[in-house]
Amino acid sequence: MTLSTMILKMCEGLGSTCAIFFLTLLFSLPLGMLFALLRMSKNKVVSSVMRFIISVLRGTPLMLQLLAVTYGPHYLINDLGVARNKLIPVVIAFAINYAAYFAEIYRGGIDSMPVGQYEAAGVLGYTKIQTFMRIILPQVVKRIMPSITNEVVTLVKDTSIAFCVSYEELFTIGKQIANSQTSFTPFLIAGIFYFVFNGLVDVVMGRIEKRMDYYQ
Amino acid sequence: MKNLKKTLCLLLAVLMTVSLLAGCGSKDSDNKDGKKVFTVGIDAEYPPFSYLGDDGNYTGFDIEIAQAACDQLGWEMKVFPVNWDQKLVQLDGKECDCIWSGMTILDSMKEAGYTLSAPYYDNTQVIMVKEGSDIKSSADLAGKVVAVQQGTSGDALLSEDGDLASLTATFQSLVRCDSFLKCFTELSGGAVDAVIVDKPVATSYADKNGGFTVLSEELGAEQYGIAFRADDKELCASIEGAVKTLVDNGTYAKIAEKYPDIVNNLLFLN
Repeated sequence: MTLSTMILKMCEGLGSTCAIFFLTLLFSLPLGMLFALLRMSKNKVVSSVMRFIISVLRGTPLMLQLLAVTYGPHYLINDLGVARNKLIPVVIAFAINYAAYFAEIYRGGIDSMPVGQYEAAGVLGYTKIQTFMRIILPQVVKRIMPSITNEVVTLVKDTSIAFCVSYEELFTIGKQIANSQTSFTPFLIAGIFYFVFNGLVDVVMGRIEKRMDYYQ
Repeated sequence: MKNLKKTLCLLLAVLMTVSLLAGCGSKDSDNKDGKKVFTVGIDAEYPPFSYLGDDGNYTGFDIEIAQAACDQLGWEMKVFPVNWDQKLVQLDGKECDCIWSGMTILDSMKEAGYTLSAPYYDNTQVIMVKEGSDIKSSADLAGKVVAVQQGTSGDALLSEDGDLASLTATFQSLVRCDSFLKCFTELSGGAVDAVIVDKPVATSYADKNGGFTVLSEELGAEQYGIAFRADDKELCASIEGAVKTLVDNGTYAKIAEKYPDIVNNLLFLN
């Protein structure tokens, strides 16, 4: 197999990797906010249930969660099949898992806002929702950007875990080629692909961060 | 208090460094009694050749033979489960001394220069389907989704330059799983329509779990052997010699009796 066919084959895998990446971000970022709000709920039951869920999601391996989402339903109820399109269970598992991490980042950001701002907003006649949407949230987003970038970079690399449920992404194809050609080159190529991908993530996130630097 | 914390931190750092270093260098080929340690690389999910037994130890036909051969030679055997689709990389990396676990001898291995033992088992691939499936032969696989374990001989046969590539071309798609169990779970969950797998694995799984049918059609014949690193010709010869002794003194046949699914295809006994 020539180097160019190798790279071409792995580019196909890169498409599947991107699918996981973008869909996961699309669903987990808002879901994380929902998790965070439930986690900070004044209702003790709601917040402790959410706290437990988050600790399970963060405390068990993503690979295990992937297997559970993909094969779990079939093992529990025999009539339920295993999804043919593996992208669905993969994105569900990734989105829920990452939402748990994002939730804690959001919570940290929201908690870091001084109480004085809420009081001031109250005095100015802002409602609770207005205060959150117009005053708190924009500042929170700014503050948590570096932590979010951190998670996004991890996500790029974590996509390779999808192999465990037979979803063919970049790394899976790399392994297949490495095996059939008994060569290490595909791993090197995969490494470069991930590195470049993350380089792009870095640039994009850096731009967003800069845009938000409007107070400085 | 602050001092105590500092001391603790330092202690921890030293401990971690030491344990890191301990990891190196301890990979000796001899154990403390001066016995040679022979590390066998296996696929831990490949019954009946090698698998995790009911007692929590690795067992199976290949492991029992390897153990008997090591006893014969006075070596200590260690089992090392490899990542099957990386087995040759791990062998080269000296993580194990051989791959001995229902491994198909492929031409690509010979070309790459690995030392290979004489074949000991005739292997065939079969098609496994759910009970009551309308797939009766390989011709019925047209337009179906078929699963195979990545890195196995079935995978090699069905891949682009394999012997069965023309069959693969008729499939709707070929799904590669990282273990047989996942292939079978995909099959029972209806995500794939058929699994192409080594015959002994299929029969032993279908016997233990209801609801599956193994078709009688046999695809692609190949043989199992043991792979060693290119410069380990001597090691290969000693193992082959020990196995020969086991065959001659009947131990081999005795072990094989425990595995009725494979006994008919063992080359040394037939």
